Amino acid sequence: MNKNFYTSLLFMLATLVLTGAAQAATRSYTLYITSGNLTVNGTGGATIPGWSYTDVPGTPKIPGPALTVNEGDTVNITVVNNHTLSHNFLIKGVTTDTTAIAAGLSRAYSFTASTAGTYLYYDTLNNNINREMGMYGALIVGPADGSSKAWTNGPAYTFQRTWIVSEMDKTRWNDVAGAGGAVATATYKPNYFLINGRGGSDGMMAADTTIDGTVGQTALVRIVNPGQFANSLHFHGNHIQVLTLNGVRQSSPYRELDVINIPPLGTADVLYYLNQPGDYPMHNHIAQMETANGVYLNGIVTMIKMR
Amino acid sequence: MNFNDTKKFAVAVALLAFGTANAATINLSKCVASINKTMSDGASVTFWVFGPAGGMCTGALPGAPIEVGVGDTLNLTLNINGMTPQEAAPYNGHTIHLHGADVATAEDGVPETGAPVTGDTYTFTPAGNMYGSYMYHCHVHTVKHLEMGMYGALIVRPKDASGNFLNQITASAATTYDYVQTYLFSTVDPAYHTATGDSTVFADYNPKYFLITGAEGKTTAAPAVSLAAAVNKKVALRLIGLHSVGGTFEIRDAAGAAKTFTAYTEDGRALPTAQTVTSLDVSAGQRFDIIFTTPATTGAWYPQISYKKLRDGAAYATAYGKVTF
Ligand SMILES: [Cu+2]
Ligand SMILES: [Cu+2]
Repeated sequence: MNKNFYTSLLFMLATLVLTGAAQAATRSYTLYITSGNLTVNGTGGATIPGWSYTDVPGTPKIPGPALTVNEGDTVNITVVNNHTLSHNFLIKGVTTDTTAIAAGLSRAYSFTASTAGTYLYYDTLNNNINREMGMYGALIVGPADGSSKAWTNGPAYTFQRTWIVSEMDKTRWNDVAGAGGAVATATYKPNYFLINGRGGSDGMMAADTTIDGTVGQTALVRIVNPGQFANSLHFHGNHIQVLTLNGVRQSSPYRELDVINIPPLGTADVLYYLNQPGDYPMHNHIAQMETANGVYLNGIVTMIKMR
Repeated sequence: MNFNDTKKFAVAVALLAFGTANAATINLSKCVASINKTMSDGASVTFWVFGPAGGMCTGALPGAPIEVGVGDTLNLTLNINGMTPQEAAPYNGHTIHLHGADVATAEDGVPETGAPVTGDTYTFTPAGNMYGSYMYHCHVHTVKHLEMGMYGALIVRPKDASGNFLNQITASAATTYDYVQTYLFSTVDPAYHTATGDSTVFADYNPKYFLITGAEGKTTAAPAVSLAAAVNKKVALRLIGLHSVGGTFEIRDAAGAAKTFTAYTEDGRALPTAQTVTSLDVSAGQRFDIIFTTPATTGAWYPQISYKKLRDGAAYATAYGKVTF
């Protein structure tokens, strides 16, 4: 190796550092508030009226699309209310504007993404009804350099998943609000329990929920609970390491758990190390939350496949 | 090295790896019994419980605690026969899941990943980082079978060089205790006990009875469990969450003042930093091993759990235990 090699190496490194610093981008999103239906497949499943933020006008998405940015990015979000009721848009821990957006109007939000982590966006209006109907999603903030780390110089991962766990009371809330009626919010008996808007029969197979990789890999799982029930998620196969809980970054060495309790509006970032070959479930340990209208394993359940 | 030397070498390596000699093999067999319990309001509720196998199956709620040392091997056999109470297909039969043990798929007791429901043997060798409270429970149609009472405590204990159990929670001497008791938390909705199959009953949980280790303990005067300790001693409690609602654990004195205690483990792992607190949320599936020190004067304290609603944390009811000193 000669001097030229080192010079070009230095040049390459300098370029990397410069591009790293210059990577902060402007990310723009438009979300359309839309009504429609959520279909839970499998035994016990149903078509449930819902409302959502969606990036495809006219086609509701429950949950809404993931907004994926890096620290330092300028984020511009325009929310267009195509629904017949007022709504708003809050990113918990990030934005503060809870002004109602009247039917037919839109509102713009802008911020600089600051702390890497997982955030919940949702509609705070209407006594939890708007949120229960499906108006929620996740903002994911990565480190400034866009690397596969939980935060700058933080724990590394091979691949990541976002699990949005929620529930719906079809009979008393969704059917009523979907038909324009008044929900008696004192009673809430959810009978559908969802992971990324699906029951377990789909959730056990979907690419965006299953932890599916080879032994030696590490999954970062971002968990968001926009529901009104506390969740108690149990991992088989290995313990998780808790990196962040409800917006609070934990210190190393991280607690190792096989159950994580996520309160309503709570979030967590956990690492799952794929340490042995096999197939394992991840499920809610609150028994009724494993069901779809009482049908077992069509609730908050997914699979861990270590190959 | 000849074959025997190789074997000795391998054993020596294994012993070093676990830091404990005289690893034991524990063979246990369980059956499933149907029992009727008379609850505090006089109503009778049917439970399915794990009992010792052999002859006619009998048992109590919860199943007997299973203790296994770090480095020991547990072979836990479940016997199912024509007398075993069970549901109709597809939820027939039972399994045992060693919750938190992170065993191989074939030992995990999950029918959906291939576990037989007609009886099996589950093997578990606790590794050197495992200490404290785990649990065993059936993993068939768990929305019903957990509720039916198919559970018990599984405790991983540290051992000394001679293979005797140490009276401490982890390998750390700071976790030494003089007394120990299991507080297994569970709740009962009688409707879940009579419903079966794909019933809408299982979508809506309305618990009516609130238990610690199988008993109601509705008042401090009638505690679910009690322990006779002495003054100035360390009492360890193993908190095991098999309930399907929220819960907050506390220890209070006779005047209702909350007492501090220290959690040394969570979910069968030593906490990186022991947590000294006056209350601890215990959610479904979680475990903690805690220690408190009894005071210098005689009296009684009341470890207790407030069972809470999942939506707003409002209290359902409190169940009490009692420790005298
Ligand atoms: Cu069973
Ligand atoms: Cu379990």
